[in-house]
Amino acid sequence: MIRNTALRRLIQSKDILAGKKAFSSVTLGTKYTADFRQYLKLPNGEIGSYFHDIPIELNETDCTVQMVTEVSRWSNGKFEISKELDFNPIVQDVKNENVRFVHNIFPYHGYIHNYGALPQTWENPTKFSAIPGTETLKGDNDPLDCCEIGSRIQNIGDISTVKVLGSLGLIDDGELDWKVIVINVKDPMAQKLNDFKDVDKNFPGLLEATREWFRAYKVPAGKPENSFAFDGHYKNAEETIQIIKECHKEWESLISGNLHKLHPDIPVIKRAGLGVTLESENKTPNEIPNYVYKWHYINK
Amino acid sequence: MVYTTRQIGAKNTLDYRVFIEQDGKPVSPFHDIPLYADEENQILNMVVEIPRWTNAKLEITKEEALNPIIQDTKKGKLRFVRNCFPHHGYIHNYGAFPQTWEDPNEAHPETKAVGDNDPVDVLEIGETIAYTGQVKQVKVLGVMALLDEGETDWKVIAIDINDPLAPKLNDIEDVEKYFPGLLRATNEWFRIYKIPDGKPENQFAFSGEAKNRKYAMDIIKETHESWKKLISGNVPDTKGIDLVNTTLSNTASFSATAAAAVPAAAPLADAPIDKSIDKWFFISGSA
Repeated sequence: MIRNTALRRLIQSKDILAGKKAFSSVTLGTKYTADFRQYLKLPNGEIGSYFHDIPIELNETDCTVQMVTEVSRWSNGKFEISKELDFNPIVQDVKNENVRFVHNIFPYHGYIHNYGALPQTWENPTKFSAIPGTETLKGDNDPLDCCEIGSRIQNIGDISTVKVLGSLGLIDDGELDWKVIVINVKDPMAQKLNDFKDVDKNFPGLLEATREWFRAYKVPAGKPENSFAFDGHYKNAEETIQIIKECHKEWESLISGNLHKLHPDIPVIKRAGLGVTLESENKTPNEIPNYVYKWHYINK
Repeated sequence: MVYTTRQIGAKNTLDYRVFIEQDGKPVSPFHDIPLYADEENQILNMVVEIPRWTNAKLEITKEEALNPIIQDTKKGKLRFVRNCFPHHGYIHNYGAFPQTWEDPNEAHPETKAVGDNDPVDVLEIGETIAYTGQVKQVKVLGVMALLDEGETDWKVIAIDINDPLAPKLNDIEDVEKYFPGLLRATNEWFRIYKIPDGKPENQFAFSGEAKNRKYAMDIIKETHESWKKLISGNVPDTKGIDLVNTTLSNTASFSATAAAAVPAAAPLADAPIDKSIDKWFFISGSA
């Protein structure tokens, strides 16, 4: 049986790499409620995991990886890949039984990037980071987060090849939570951007805004400002590739299944190869509550 | 007074029209809706054209009977404002004061520029997102004098009287106190918003400073007087403005039949907006 699922997975990924078939998704429940789930659907029709079944496709020559979009630019719903549910669907984060929306921090509207995750990466919370300068910190138990800065708005569940430009070492509640800055390779600006310094040149103000956004975004919820490793300085593209490689290695240790006995709260690893299928429910989304539209002014 | 909207066609198309109804009967948002909702308390009616964080340039049309809200066009194409970083679309609920007119026949003594031939624009800063055609009751807080391609284009800053912060906001300095950075962002927004279209930066009179509530109320009164001259036919040139109305029976342009000529409501689902409108423009040195 194990050999059988591994074989199926191998055939799948060969097809995907050959560009023959595309990923799609299956949506259950109502958007903006706690029962919303968006599952990854593999080219053969079965359900897979956004966390584990999308190949990272790290290309060190071109500095590219694959990205899964969780949140569209200028929206507020805090959607994310579930760590607890089998097959890791995208769900809306729930806090005190309410679905979570990020507040609008003046002058910004919602998230200021297409926000998402790098599949097959994991910020390991069970041990100290091996990345120089962050050795006193443990990971936040999520895949690596990324901020896509291209001109098009990406949708939840979109899978795209992106170029890695740099990264910001956010420290959230004492945990290391890298924000990798990327741009969709199809964006007209992608060729001109090779490092975070090119972002500053071509998108003046964006990296500073990104830092201020992550510093302040939980303040309206009554939380303190976040802080940053390296005094908030960005790591360059080359250093970021090393961070991604490190987190991919940690993902391999996660997927081995050897850590779950000692650490029951790490992400579930049930993934494609089981032949599970689901049908979309096509429900009408709920109304976004009015309070989400308020603009919050943070006194500096 | 209960105002409702009558939509025809789909948003983001040339057919889109939003008529304003008073007790179910079409009226002109330019001429029929009274400027003062409560004159004693100086509360004004505002007609919302553009909701915050959207891009379609919707406005009360001057050229059609009963002045429905339509999307502005340029060379036959629908007009959208571009997103200038860090802003998304319009940053206020944007609209106009009924029964006001920035007279293009006369230069303002302080800005030395003629009016832009439109009703006075309003920037409503409350926390709720408004909708196109909404008639809000607002409190005036101040005004900025944009000089847009050589014409005076007053931007009155106001807040919905039902906003939780409205009782605390009484004049322009309260805006900076409760919305720190908003006036600066407003100034920047209007200076740069046409740059992505290849136009030069706009200028503000008074070095970009926002004038206080009293100054703003005086401007509104002056432009209300200009509108009175316009509607009574006492201007050398009405500049193509359709003056038809359904409630001002002592005016020559009053029409008892205009309301019945307005088509029945026929709203359609929003048409998609071209993806290129999602682009963020980074204008160097603007911040």
